[in-house]
Amino acid sequence: MQCRTVLTRIDALRTRELASIEKTAVEQHLLTCYSCVESQADVVDLADAIKSLAVVPERSCREAVKEQIADSFDRVGDAWVAFSNGRIRMIAEAESIDDVREAYAKKHGRVLEPGTIPEPLRRQVEAAVNGEGVATPKVDLDAANDLEHDVMQTLVRIPRGEVRTYAWVARQAGRPRAVRAVASIIARNAVPYVVPCHRVVPSSGGVGNYIFGSATKRALLEREGVNVDELDALAREHVRYIGSRTTHIFCFPTCRDAKRIQEKNRMPFRDADDAMEHGYRPCRHCQPVAA
Amino acid sequence: MKNSWTVGELAGEPDRREGGDLAVAVHRCEPGAFERLIDRFEQPLFGYAHGILQNAFDAQEVVQDAMMRAHKALTRQYDEARCAALALRPWLFKTVRNLCLNKRRSKRSSLEQPLETFDDGRIGPFVSLEGSDLERKEEIELLRRAMALLPVDARELIVLRFMEEMSYAEIAKTVGQSEAALRGKVFRSLKLLRDALEKPATQKGVAYAM
Repeated sequence: MQCRTVLTRIDALRTRELASIEKTAVEQHLLTCYSCVESQADVVDLADAIKSLAVVPERSCREAVKEQIADSFDRVGDAWVAFSNGRIRMIAEAESIDDVREAYAKKHGRVLEPGTIPEPLRRQVEAAVNGEGVATPKVDLDAANDLEHDVMQTLVRIPRGEVRTYAWVARQAGRPRAVRAVASIIARNAVPYVVPCHRVVPSSGGVGNYIFGSATKRALLEREGVNVDELDALAREHVRYIGSRTTHIFCFPTCRDAKRIQEKNRMPFRDADDAMEHGYRPCRHCQPVAA
Repeated sequence: MKNSWTVGELAGEPDRREGGDLAVAVHRCEPGAFERLIDRFEQPLFGYAHGILQNAFDAQEVVQDAMMRAHKALTRQYDEARCAALALRPWLFKTVRNLCLNKRRSKRSSLEQPLETFDDGRIGPFVSLEGSDLERKEEIELLRRAMALLPVDARELIVLRFMEEMSYAEIAKTVGQSEAALRGKVFRSLKLLRDALEKPATQKGVAYAM
């Protein structure tokens, strides 16, 4: 072995990172070459001295990083509520917080630690669960993409005591053809109750599915003042809209204007085209047809 | 003879296992897992960033940024299998390395004269681990100045190899070069350091090519 080959290996020899054949060859050379032995001593000296140059940061980034990666949770009634910076990030019902932690980690990639929910947020969750409705829910939509954002905004605008269809939400969110995509966004709503995804029902009738089960959805809607039995009856007749014979305006059956129509003036319609052929125009409040 | 390099004993082997487990714990968002990662790696990463940047403030910023990126990658971007197979230490060092090089690129002009931008120990000081006598302090100070004179790639290798005590296999993963090439470069870096130590007065910066 030549000196230059040996020199590039004496450091690896120091930490026993050489294969045995190489190790033997290097050691053989060192027995005979004084200049390489000197270099070896120098490498060992320098390696030792350099260790004393350790540096430490003035302060740890622990707290700053932790603030960015951990959120808090608290219990409100039967629900677990995760929140950060005064906004609700997730509402879930589960046996144990560990299930919520897992879902939260998947969605937000953050840890959940016990905390005390701010009073305004607690009141919002309680009001929403009791069917009182929340006008401006304080929810965190930072992780949402554009469509998710628009869908959430649309849901919030469905008034308490009324329901809309998935197709309607898709249209109001600006994506009339993406009904399926919109429906799956609604199904994945991380903040149920306060963002009223329960107010969206299938066009075909019935209350449809819900994250906490159809029965919960039905009860919640009834608590908000929706006549679910009447909705079922209309669905059986394939009636989607109700028109008024006096104003010649047609609405969703749960629209606050539709509820005021006297029984004798109620005119049922199966679809919007039928209503318009009869000379009816869509309601400006519930917007059964694109404005 | 040629291929026998790769079968050498790897000093980094036990560490790699620990890294995979920790990465999986972080991936699962286990409480306290990421704090453990920070406690384990913050100082070494800071030392490395400081070695490249020679500036405590920038080094701290880079380390924090790297930690945030690591957390995002482990929890959001990598699946569990990838976390389990991850060589955590070289991966973290590589992240810091890339961020440091970006930072250097963005403020290259100010780094052309290392002696002037070299910080004087008031922010993020070099701390001697042992020895309080004056002579030793002076020696360390000389070494510190000599380090500052080295080209950045020499400095970085010296930090990884002698301060962080990484195996050649780990350094290869961190900086993306072959172990064979690195042996030569580490030796030449040490030689540059020795030269800089021996003629500090005349030295205005070491201009050897690596």
